Amino acid sequence: MKNTTLFLIGILSLFISCKEKSKKVKNNESQGTSLSIDYANGFSIKQYTNHTIITVTEAFPGAQKEFKYALIPRDSSGNNTDIELSKTLEETLKSQGVDAILKTPLNTVVVTSTTHIPSLEMLGVAKTLKGFPNLDYISSPLSRKRIANKEIIDLGQNESLNTELTIELRPEVIISFGVEGENKSLNSVERAGIPVLYNGDWVEKDPLGKAEWIKFFGALYGKEREADSIFNHIKTNYNLLKEQIANIENKPTVLSGGMFKDIWYLPKGDSWQAKVLEDAGGNYLWSETEGAGSIALSIESVLEKGQQADFWIAPGQYTSYAKLASDNPTYAQFDAFKNKKVYTFAKYKGETGGLLYYELAPNRPDLVLRDLAKILHPEIITEDFTFFDTLDE
Amino acid sequence: MNNSSYSLTFLILALVLIVCILANLSLGSVAIPIKDVIASLVGSEVSKSSWEYIILDYRLPKTITAIIAGSGLAVSGLLMQTLFRNPLAGPFVLGISSGASLGVALYILGGTALGLSTALLSGKWGLIIAASAGSFLVLLMVIGVATRVKDTMALLIIGLMVGSLTSAVVSVLAYFSKAEELQRFVFWSFGSLGDLSWSGVGILALCFAVGLILSIASLKSLDSFLLGDAYARTLGTRFSRSRLLIIIATSLLAGSITAFAGPIAFIGLAVPHLIRQVIKTTRHIILLPAVIMGGAILMLICDTIAQVPFSEFTLPINAISAMVGAPVVIWLLVRKKKLLF
Repeated sequence: MKNTTLFLIGILSLFISCKEKSKKVKNNESQGTSLSIDYANGFSIKQYTNHTIITVTEAFPGAQKEFKYALIPRDSSGNNTDIELSKTLEETLKSQGVDAILKTPLNTVVVTSTTHIPSLEMLGVAKTLKGFPNLDYISSPLSRKRIANKEIIDLGQNESLNTELTIELRPEVIISFGVEGENKSLNSVERAGIPVLYNGDWVEKDPLGKAEWIKFFGALYGKEREADSIFNHIKTNYNLLKEQIANIENKPTVLSGGMFKDIWYLPKGDSWQAKVLEDAGGNYLWSETEGAGSIALSIESVLEKGQQADFWIAPGQYTSYAKLASDNPTYAQFDAFKNKKVYTFAKYKGETGGLLYYELAPNRPDLVLRDLAKILHPEIITEDFTFFDTLDE
Repeated sequence: MNNSSYSLTFLILALVLIVCILANLSLGSVAIPIKDVIASLVGSEVSKSSWEYIILDYRLPKTITAIIAGSGLAVSGLLMQTLFRNPLAGPFVLGISSGASLGVALYILGGTALGLSTALLSGKWGLIIAASAGSFLVLLMVIGVATRVKDTMALLIIGLMVGSLTSAVVSVLAYFSKAEELQRFVFWSFGSLGDLSWSGVGILALCFAVGLILSIASLKSLDSFLLGDAYARTLGTRFSRSRLLIIIATSLLAGSITAFAGPIAFIGLAVPHLIRQVIKTTRHIILLPAVIMGGAILMLICDTIAQVPFSEFTLPINAISAMVGAPVVIWLLVRKKKLLF
């Protein structure tokens, strides 16, 4: 009898406390504060008293759907009432239709793009990375060491992630850069209850906008402040150098890209590569073209416009003049080739052949800008190259 | 061959099929002990909850898809070989897979190449809808042609031409697309049996069942088709109607399988030949069930190999089916020195 009464009181108090808490949660909704996102267009972060919401507005080009991810800080004290509170909060969030609810800081993640890895390393949370599709693409020495120690497992290929291994690994989250619904294995992993977050850093057109996605990772690890200060450092470096270069009158003309079969691919005028080139004081000959991807041109049209360009930057995977000339004699017709003014990012490779540029450049536009400034205006930069170098003979 | 020896053959086929199903469920990238595989299937305690999930929600739908895809493609291969009286015909001669490719190419590559917005179709079913729409349009065209053209061989040529036409359009689209989009398209064209949701498997199974019922309804006319168009007419087979029924059955089977699993070559062409080597009859009432079982067996073997047990890489099913099957067909033909058709 006594037990039953106690039990009833317990139930009752639980009910009351639930009610109170749900009220609290509601009140908090209006008080959310937005974190400042200055350059990136694809996401926003809003902090509430008990949780944070990341909204990814452009997960892939032309995305119509917004993705909302709710982050609830883990309770380190293990207090019962807080568990109740977080349950109520989760229910409220679910009713609001968030795409995923995560407990932060994350302990185990799978990322799918090498561009996500520098963010994890800069935030000091590289040890949470447990799986990656095709480990050979990873170049950073820190993560390569973890791979050598078998701390990161290979999950096959990004376009068809190994479903069984991923489910067996059970990461708290998979961070993807794909297009929703087109990756069958991701759909199936989601059905298994592993949330998939879309990271749209690759869609950003502004060089600093790409780098600002470190704040996305900052929120996932409860390291908003660290992310903010890392980004501010990159931003300040970038903008200082950009202002310094803005005073230089001489703007050498720049050609970019290379041929695959007989089509020359080069970055369009709105792409981040084109923007960094302009910021580095270059006159990119195709800066007028609209759009952010790459443009496919015939060799004739590139020769016509770019034959007298002062510099030729990033000729694909080429690392030597000899290989360029032997693959296609037309390459030797360019002034930049004759004057040995061709620069490539293909020489800095990781242990297993991944290019450092592809992994780190989107996160460190300040270093890309410095490299390009060193190429175009060698007098103002004393530091060594990070990504670029001259071609071998 | 008398009826009792048929039943022996069928018994052997059934046993092999059961072994293949079990092997397919037991082998994969994650090593799961056979006792846990069986425990998951019968619903008793499993050592790890992730294993139970892998068996019941990943491997089991994949195995069912493999059975449906193998049987369905083999049946439509048999139907086409009989209809066209041509040993080289397969499920895709009517341009069904090229139609699906075109749909998927427009969906994935169209954004860049043509500036099409595929946002309407975004989400988990987008790709499947695009593939189905593509093969359905080709099917409508083929039926339209079939009702006008009296010569069955002309229909075969028209199907091949439609295939060439659509693959040319796909090439043009691919030429102007971004590397990532091209990669997505290429991965679709590799085919894959896994990662279908239960609702996907359900829809696929429904299409398969309808296709199969139509095939069974055509059994008698199929036998007469083997004797030639003119002879089939004299036998009183309602020629145009039977032909249309067979075309619809094939399209439904091959089209739905392509939409869900991507194009899977070879199985449809090879299985009827393999079965004819084992069962020497032209009676479709015997051939059809044998082809259904044979297709399922071959597909399950191929899928088990494609999963390359205990490694992180899975191989494209579309390539494996030909790599495993082609030598078998060549070996059989060389040994028997003649094609039974």
